[in-house]
Amino acid sequence: MRDFIQFFLLCVECLFILYMAGYASFLFLSVTVGSSDLYAAKRRNLLKNELSNDYYVPVSIIVPAHNEGVTIEATVRSLLALDYKLYEIIVVDDGSTDDTAQVVREAFHMWRINRPIQRRVPCQPEDAVYESREWKVPITLVSKRNGGKADALNMGINVSNYPYFLCIDADSVLQYDSLEKIVRPVLEDPSVVAVGGAVRPCNGAEIDKGRVVRYRMPRKLLPCMQVLEYDRSFLASRILFDKFNGNIIISGAFGLFLKSVVIAAGGYDESTMGEDMELVVKLHVFCREHNRPYRIRYVTDAVCWTQVPERLKDLCKQRRRWHIGLFQSMMKYRNILANPKYGAVSFVSYLYFLIYELFSPYIEIFGLFATLLAFAVDLINVPFMIFFFGIYVAYTAILSLTAFFARVHTIDLNLTVADVLKAVGLCVVEVSCLRFVMAWVRMTALIGYHKKKNVWGRIERQKIEFK
Amino acid sequence: MMGSEVLLYGYGLVCLSMLGFNILYSLHLRVSDRRLKRRMGDIARLVAAQLAAVQTGQKVGHRHLKEMSRRLSRVNNLLAFDHFLDEQDDEDPVFQSYLRQMQPVFLYLTTVYRRREDMQAAYFCHFLARHQLQRHMQMQQMQPLVASYLEKGSLYCKINALKALCAFGSAETIVQALLQLDKQADGTLHEKVLTETLMAFTGKADMLIGLLWEQFEKFSVPLQRAILDYIRFKSGDYCEQMLAILQDQEQDRELRFAAIRYFGRYPFSPARALLLAFVCDLDPLHWEFTAISASSLARYAGQDVVEALSEAMHSPNWYVRYNAAASLEAHGLAYEDLVGTAVGEDRYAREMLTYRLERRRLAEKEKEAMAGA
Repeated sequence: MRDFIQFFLLCVECLFILYMAGYASFLFLSVTVGSSDLYAAKRRNLLKNELSNDYYVPVSIIVPAHNEGVTIEATVRSLLALDYKLYEIIVVDDGSTDDTAQVVREAFHMWRINRPIQRRVPCQPEDAVYESREWKVPITLVSKRNGGKADALNMGINVSNYPYFLCIDADSVLQYDSLEKIVRPVLEDPSVVAVGGAVRPCNGAEIDKGRVVRYRMPRKLLPCMQVLEYDRSFLASRILFDKFNGNIIISGAFGLFLKSVVIAAGGYDESTMGEDMELVVKLHVFCREHNRPYRIRYVTDAVCWTQVPERLKDLCKQRRRWHIGLFQSMMKYRNILANPKYGAVSFVSYLYFLIYELFSPYIEIFGLFATLLAFAVDLINVPFMIFFFGIYVAYTAILSLTAFFARVHTIDLNLTVADVLKAVGLCVVEVSCLRFVMAWVRMTALIGYHKKKNVWGRIERQKIEFK
Repeated sequence: MMGSEVLLYGYGLVCLSMLGFNILYSLHLRVSDRRLKRRMGDIARLVAAQLAAVQTGQKVGHRHLKEMSRRLSRVNNLLAFDHFLDEQDDEDPVFQSYLRQMQPVFLYLTTVYRRREDMQAAYFCHFLARHQLQRHMQMQQMQPLVASYLEKGSLYCKINALKALCAFGSAETIVQALLQLDKQADGTLHEKVLTETLMAFTGKADMLIGLLWEQFEKFSVPLQRAILDYIRFKSGDYCEQMLAILQDQEQDRELRFAAIRYFGRYPFSPARALLLAFVCDLDPLHWEFTAISASSLARYAGQDVVEALSEAMHSPNWYVRYNAAASLEAHGLAYEDLVGTAVGEDRYAREMLTYRLERRRLAEKEKEAMAGA
């Protein structure tokens, strides 16, 4: 029996060496590429290697909302403060049971109007359409039957007037120049069909007319750790994937799309919980199957500030939802795996998401159990185990800090010494504790997931400090 | 075991180097603003002495020109000089005289930055375009040099170089630059960028359009589209040429669309019959011609136009109905009548007209509310 366990643990050891070497290399590569890209972008901006804002691509901003009465007004006001001329705002109220629609109607003096809507992508029927023309740009509110976020976004696409649409979450605030920055890749390369922007936690930030006037690390520890996690996991890896057109996810909180291609691909999939990822993978598949030259870009200087959950319960809910969405998208497009037609999207992006995102919670929790088993049968070198864990924590923490400081330096945020110390302390806690809690949450996410289809993820909202 | 330890230490070392880099960069950022101010101060002192000399009728010293050539060859000093120029009074004759005498320096810098990395070269072109130095000096010698920046690989360098040439205001150079860009495999810029850049041309627009038209056939379709858009914004004298494009079925669809839009902005009676024919075309494959023509006919009066637009209201295509309704609105017709007669029992046509009517009422209400406030 002991021999068998010994053999089993040897196999586990080999597997984990490969797994960790792969992860460490990827993390190192993504943070290095991400950080250097951020510094290069800062220099490019300083030396005016950028398109000025005279070039306006018309954009429809779609804000799907469900029970967002607390934040929706601030979100729309932030959109009105954008430093851009040619856009429209479309709020889609997806059968809210709170006063979301009423807040929008009253705050922006909207009138009911009989507007014919062209059904180019499927969605639930509208109950009423309201418009207002007394603001800087036209605002439209569509109240419709509940159908989920993807359904609300499809309605927004149907109502939109312009060739590009931008989807943002109702609890998010766009930085004043974010629209100008997110359309730049479209002007630089006409084959661009989608652009993702940088999503940053706004907890702790004070935003005035789309400008961050005061930035502090969030007061609460959980959002603070998410700030570090966002920089390491999202910012760095997406910059790396962008280098080879390999991004297979654009956050639902902030993404620009070429409407005609999205419509041709069938719009958002209402049966998927991670509609944002599903759409991007679908665009890869659609463009490659139709031999259409395309690029899916990620820009770091187009910034959307979003609220991250402040309570563990909400964070678990959010991550469970993300993991289900990931699972659904990966399964739906499983033919991408090891398919030479998809090139780097298949052999790097898809494989990375499969191993280090979808399977990682199972692998990590399995690793913990294997360690406990080894400890129980006295087949583990405890000092080396502690040393190894220490190295792991230090390594990931340093990379988190590298990504974090690269971002802070390149967008001219001023942090206090207390904030820096907080970041240094919490990055250790994040990689050594929170990561395992999240692994457990993601591992159990798929239990009974099919019951949660088309349900809006609810987390407790705070009023955004937007002036 | 040793192998994995070496690997771990190796990674740790690299991470620590990254952390060190971050700390150093942070310190560098803290002092960079001060450095820029110091450089600006140095340049201001150098220039002030020369301005005083120019004011007394003397020329800018040879040593100063040499010193400025040396200093401004460094991009950080050029940045400081850029900021310094922002603070100067452009209309001051003494300062203008100083800039005129600086021409050899800028000529020299054009050759220096031509050899630099793309990012610096693009910045130099931005500098030239931004300060429109052609107001103060002759630029003929510099133009071919700046045009050579278009050969650089960077998109921003191409755009900034084109902007600089537009700021110089020589129509011949712009046409040559566009032909040069068009020949490059990676030279195609977005039409919007091209049109907007041409809009910044400081010379005579008529002359530029004339020269562009002479060479029109030599340009690729995307560039031709950009040129047609530019002409639409700048001149109504090209109706005949636009009509020829519209009539030519061999022409690219986008060029013909541009021609239809041109006639929407500049009504031209010989084009009227063609626009009406497009609006009456029921072929769903031609819906774009129908939709754009329906929009362009907003400025063409006549019963035949109203009838054609009313007929277009029955189109199965949403955009055709939408544009036809908007054009009917522009003709100042009473919607109530149209809803009763022209669109008949067609629900889709009625819905679209009702929507336009409600939008007009909404606009009126909002106007009243604004006036009341």
